[in-house]
Amino acid sequence: MKRLGPAALVVALLAYPFVDRAVGLHTVHAVSDGMIYMLLALGLNIVVGYAGLLDLGYAAFFAIGAYAMGLLNSPVLGSPLYGHAWSFWVCIWIAAAVSALLGLVIGAPTLRVRGDYLAIITLGFGEIIPVAIRNLGDVTIEIGGWRPIERLNLTGGENGVNPVGRPYLPGVPFETDPMPWYFLILVIGALSIWAMSRLRDSRLGRAWMAIREDETAADCTGVNPISTKLLAFALGASFSGFAGSVYAAKLQAITPGAFEFQVSIMLLCMVVLGGAGSLRGVVLGAMLITIFDRVILSQTTFLVRAIGRATGVSALTAVDLTLWRWFFFGLGLVLVMLLRPQGLAGRRVRPVAGGDADDETAVPEPSAPPRLAAVPEWLRTRAAGVDASGAVLEVRGVTKSFGGVVALNQVDLAVPRGAIIGLIGPNGAGKTTFFNVVTGLVRPDAGHITFGGGSLVGLRPNAIVARGIARTFQSIRLFAHMSVLDNVLVGEHCRLESSVAGAVVRPPSVVAEERRARERARSLLAFVGLADKEEDLARNLPYGDQRRLEIARALATEPRLLLLDEPTAGMNPRETEALTELIGLLRRELTLSILLIEHDMEVVMGISDRISVLDYGTRIAEGTPAEIQRHPRVIEAYLGTGYEAEAAGRSGPR
Amino acid sequence: MLELADVHAYYGNIRALRGLSLSVERGEIVTLIGANGAGKTTTLRTILGLIRPRRGHVSFNGQRLDTLGTDRIVRLGIAQSPEGRHIFPRMTVLENLELGAFARPDRDGIAPDLERVFSLFPRLRERIAQKGGTLSGGEQQMLAISRALMARPGLLLLDEPSMGLSPILVDTIFRIIEDINRQGTTILLVEQNARMALRVAHRGYVIQTGRVVMHDTSAALWRSDLVRKTYLGEK
Repeated sequence: MKRLGPAALVVALLAYPFVDRAVGLHTVHAVSDGMIYMLLALGLNIVVGYAGLLDLGYAAFFAIGAYAMGLLNSPVLGSPLYGHAWSFWVCIWIAAAVSALLGLVIGAPTLRVRGDYLAIITLGFGEIIPVAIRNLGDVTIEIGGWRPIERLNLTGGENGVNPVGRPYLPGVPFETDPMPWYFLILVIGALSIWAMSRLRDSRLGRAWMAIREDETAADCTGVNPISTKLLAFALGASFSGFAGSVYAAKLQAITPGAFEFQVSIMLLCMVVLGGAGSLRGVVLGAMLITIFDRVILSQTTFLVRAIGRATGVSALTAVDLTLWRWFFFGLGLVLVMLLRPQGLAGRRVRPVAGGDADDETAVPEPSAPPRLAAVPEWLRTRAAGVDASGAVLEVRGVTKSFGGVVALNQVDLAVPRGAIIGLIGPNGAGKTTFFNVVTGLVRPDAGHITFGGGSLVGLRPNAIVARGIARTFQSIRLFAHMSVLDNVLVGEHCRLESSVAGAVVRPPSVVAEERRARERARSLLAFVGLADKEEDLARNLPYGDQRRLEIARALATEPRLLLLDEPTAGMNPRETEALTELIGLLRRELTLSILLIEHDMEVVMGISDRISVLDYGTRIAEGTPAEIQRHPRVIEAYLGTGYEAEAAGRSGPR
Repeated sequence: MLELADVHAYYGNIRALRGLSLSVERGEIVTLIGANGAGKTTTLRTILGLIRPRRGHVSFNGQRLDTLGTDRIVRLGIAQSPEGRHIFPRMTVLENLELGAFARPDRDGIAPDLERVFSLFPRLRERIAQKGGTLSGGEQQMLAISRALMARPGLLLLDEPSMGLSPILVDTIFRIIEDINRQGTTILLVEQNARMALRVAHRGYVIQTGRVVMHDTSAALWRSDLVRKTYLGEK
């Protein structure tokens, strides 16, 4: 049965235009146009759905694709560019390349902004392009009476470009018959969906979604947010380049009016209606909106007028529902957001586990202490390949202040290879800031940080991950709407090599790499005790599991130094014990160096080789656990006297 | 004062609470003990009306809660310091605290309570004009507890109050919990640090897979094998 669905779909798509002709419906033209918009919506989905970058000016890329085709493939206009009438089959690639290039150009200034600001920049870009096209129809440059360029018509101005050359294939009647167009667009659309689905399931697709979920965490997991976002813009735009050039050639004429703001909004509606991030959803959303716009509105108008004439109600005979299209789009969008915010086909936030039945398996086990597997063999092999001795991390005189508050003051700290160093101190002492400085999230005002001999100051977090430092976060930062397995796979991102082309074409080397990556991710999940949960969404895991998943993700980056920020916070004693064991195992078997922020003194004192204590950003003590426990300043500022009592004997309840 | 009877609650179709019953009497400190995922936080969320039970009912001073909106429930005198803090990151410490008192009828009581909170957590006074989001994790925890105290609730729900706090502050927090209890606030405490929780609580419930498997006085729980092995971490 499952095989039948796709096969039936293919047959239906292939048979449709013949049926249409036999019955005399004459809808092939409209359907082909609709499919162009569908292709646009799919391109937009890469930017909005996968990478989570709200783009309100996407129609600009559509315009660029269309005009690239128009300028290169129009026989009438007078500029040097025109008149050569290059072949459609060449122009379509140029159009896609130009769109991708402009995707990079508009992407570049938006790299540091997110959310509302990004949306506003793209909005501006979407306005600039049609205005520029309108005004470049009559360009005169005058320099003191000398006119090097006079009344040059670059874009056709308000009148647009007309006509645009058609594609030429021997024996195929592109001039007279809508059917070849239908098949041309069908092939382009099918190839695009194929390419997009492969991109989605690739290293790059995972990186996009990681950026969407949590850009900072993605950066600290080895994903370069800059190149990842630029690729989203460029690839998203390239699909609209294809769509635009086919649109121009099919319509035979383009005018700036076809690329207004409303087009961007309509495309966004298609994506959101169907479900951002879901290919099937976007196709569905585009179909619904196109059918509604092209068929239902006009047919209903006819119907209402007919009723009006039949009943003699003159108000009805003059109705034009197509003027109300934006009203209906808006209404539809409001309803979808209220009733099904994830879109019609979007992934549900929570998995459905077999109806309302008493489903014992769906409930997390009671405090079964996580069963840990052995350290994955591949990690052991990789760790053995690294040759290093002496200090791995060396921090000297690091200072950082925020406004007037000195968060770190001349802090020194060294982590030798294979050592576990505890970092403790009162709340607000600067421990997490220290982690942020080492991992590149915060740039120190002064001081040196070297790792394996090279300086880390000024490097971006993802570059530091690539050097071999991984971290976890105090307030867990997983990629909440990605699966447990995908979270770990994002960790492997910086150790994988497949390129964009490789992700689409999937040569044997990429297939092998992906398979190996999955094996490794699974072995890591088994190691931290999450083997049976790889398909769950990260956000649905209970707290302790989320902590362990974060550690698995960090290990996937193949670190030489692991920074753990309160790893046992919120865990019960059995879970804490298991995690402590796991940390010890990492050090013993991988000679991994570990820097540990932790408030559970049993853990810190139990596994640290040495401990540094921060207070108000200054290191007040450094020494072995035994020395630290006796240190008067540490007792005063941090441990308190209750700690001694607790360590001495466990007093019961009052 | 608070009563949950046979409460069944779901996340989607996953059953989080399966017939949970418990009660809290006026003036008590009651603690919920259980592993991650056992349903402790879900219980608190159900009391606050953030999750609707599919079966069973929740009542507070004889009034049904499970049909009310969260804002109404808070106005009845229940406040929570949530797990993971959830402070308002772009508002100052002072604004966060003032919002804690948003639903209070007695405007005159706010200033003294602010003073009380600052004497409990001097660090918050130092950071009074700083944005909540720029506080360290432990400081945010103090702010979340203080914000709940500012509501001057009859019943205070504390979800993992000691998480992320230094040992000295853990001691302080539990002392504060005892103090505010003595001043008349009833407390329902969810805490991984079962040792500390049992030390301050009068009674406790052990929760596994959404059900109460044991409830007794703290002293009795402290002696039980199940609690010692599973939640106190003794061998």
